[in-house]
Amino acid sequence: MKIQVNARNRAYQFETTEGEKILYAGLSEAIGLPYECASGTCGTCKARLVSGEVIDGWPEAPGRKYLKDDDEFLMCQCAAKTDVSIEVASFVQPIEADVCVPAAMKGVISSARLLTPDVIHLQVRLNQPMEFDAGQFMLVQAPGVAGYRGWSMVNHQREAESLEFIVKKKPGGGISEWLFNTDCEGVEVDLFGPLGQATFYPSLAKNVLCIAGGSGIAGMLSILSRAAQNDYFSQYKGDVFFGVQTLKDAFFLDEFSKLRTLCGDNLNVVIALSKEEAPASALNDHPQLKFDTGYVHDVAGRHMQGGYQNVRAYLAGPPPMVDAAIRVLLQARMTTDNICYDKFS
Amino acid sequence: MSKIRICNTAEIPSNGMKEYDTEGGLKVLIANAGDTYYAYQGLCPHQEVCLAEGYYDGAVLTCHQHLWQWDITTGKEVGTLAEVPLEKYEVQVEDGEIFVVQSSALKAAQLFMDVSDDTLQRLDLLARREKYGSGGVLYNIGDPTDDLYILESGRVEFLIGRDGTSPAGFVLRKGEVFGWAALLENQERRIAKATSLEDSVLLRLNGEATLKALESDPVSGYLVMRKLSTLITRHLGSQGEK
Repeated sequence: MKIQVNARNRAYQFETTEGEKILYAGLSEAIGLPYECASGTCGTCKARLVSGEVIDGWPEAPGRKYLKDDDEFLMCQCAAKTDVSIEVASFVQPIEADVCVPAAMKGVISSARLLTPDVIHLQVRLNQPMEFDAGQFMLVQAPGVAGYRGWSMVNHQREAESLEFIVKKKPGGGISEWLFNTDCEGVEVDLFGPLGQATFYPSLAKNVLCIAGGSGIAGMLSILSRAAQNDYFSQYKGDVFFGVQTLKDAFFLDEFSKLRTLCGDNLNVVIALSKEEAPASALNDHPQLKFDTGYVHDVAGRHMQGGYQNVRAYLAGPPPMVDAAIRVLLQARMTTDNICYDKFS
Repeated sequence: MSKIRICNTAEIPSNGMKEYDTEGGLKVLIANAGDTYYAYQGLCPHQEVCLAEGYYDGAVLTCHQHLWQWDITTGKEVGTLAEVPLEKYEVQVEDGEIFVVQSSALKAAQLFMDVSDDTLQRLDLLARREKYGSGGVLYNIGDPTDDLYILESGRVEFLIGRDGTSPAGFVLRKGEVFGWAALLENQERRIAKATSLEDSVLLRLNGEATLKALESDPVSGYLVMRKLSTLITRHLGSQGEK
């Protein structure tokens, strides 16, 4: 099918195959169509159908609440049934040459292990190596579970042959029920990516502030890993705030300790516990980490006071946490171009 | 000119904001900053998200969806993310009640937002409001470039190419100006065909008369020309595309 996109500044044409979502087809052609979650919740990829017909793969998608008229639809959920002409009410530029263009691929779950009773760590071996930027995510679809989920990469390598993800158990959530209740090692999954604009490059040349809740820490580890590989923290500061409810919910503490050893005192890692004070054992086991009590955005606000000069902030976690963190950063007079996150709500 | 009662001043928290739906179907955001009240379009010009759900600190308004920001005193963009200013309405406070006044449709046009009140009045007199139905042709390729247009409501499509059938692919927002060749030298013929895609309302101004009005107020004229050059650059700037 032929797709014609009329954006604010110019028109684009590309082709889709049967059932292929319009957003994914356009992004694969290096056309920078607007999106954030790419999985039906944020509404950012809405477009208006001018002519032709589309099939909506998920008419109950929560992101449809951002649609106002009957002729609007979400490009991430809809495939073209005929040749279509659509309007996108924003400026659309080609994806820049140094940014990874997303593609569809397959992979096999090569390992699945529990980090806590409700957080699982997955490794997916890809059928082809891929490049991605630190902080990006992939869409993953498991057999028999409808729809893609967006998971941030934990690792960061050039030409990555496998990707690591962490997934939190959500009662009633299709894919998490499947992951936590099935022996999923060896299972083949479909992937599309890399996606996401909250990325880190060593050429950023700014201090890095990471505020993450729960499994939102995944992308931060990718960023820290990229930074550590480039010896970034010999020149710039890194402040990481990782929020969980209790110490039992925390994970990757050994990995953070290793990063501290590798990067030195310019990297500061604070574990924020919202429901308890850190037991003394935590400090003994992880002498290089700090522990504090409170919501992660409040803890970050306290520790960062007066320390927002030349800072780029990365946020990830449950939507209310991201929202609260944005408020803290705006109050601290951070400029919005230095507040990075991919919206999943 | 229409004047609409919105609310009591007591309803607006100090350095806070609140949104109201008027009977005419307009969503208005009322914000307080110290002793002053401001009124703006209630929906973000980016993706029509309610601005009242965003962040406001008494000086800068931030949309929570993609962090576009505006100065509350002017409605102008703050920072690098926001692509367009907010549509501002004139506020009158009488006996503790807040009214908004929509004085000039031209004020919503980005191109004219910095123009002095006197010149705006002059331009207002030049503006003719025209309605087009679906399929109505505003101008064709080769037509003279006498007038410029401001989209007040509806949608307009542009077609280019030898026979005027290739979509140029521009999507316009309310308050956007097109047909700006009317303000340029040596651009006497239209290079695109403009067609209304649904019931649309447009303000139409004669280019030469507009330039005359701007010549008599060079400060306003300079600001309009700066906006115009930015607008043209933006359309040309798509990585070598025109």
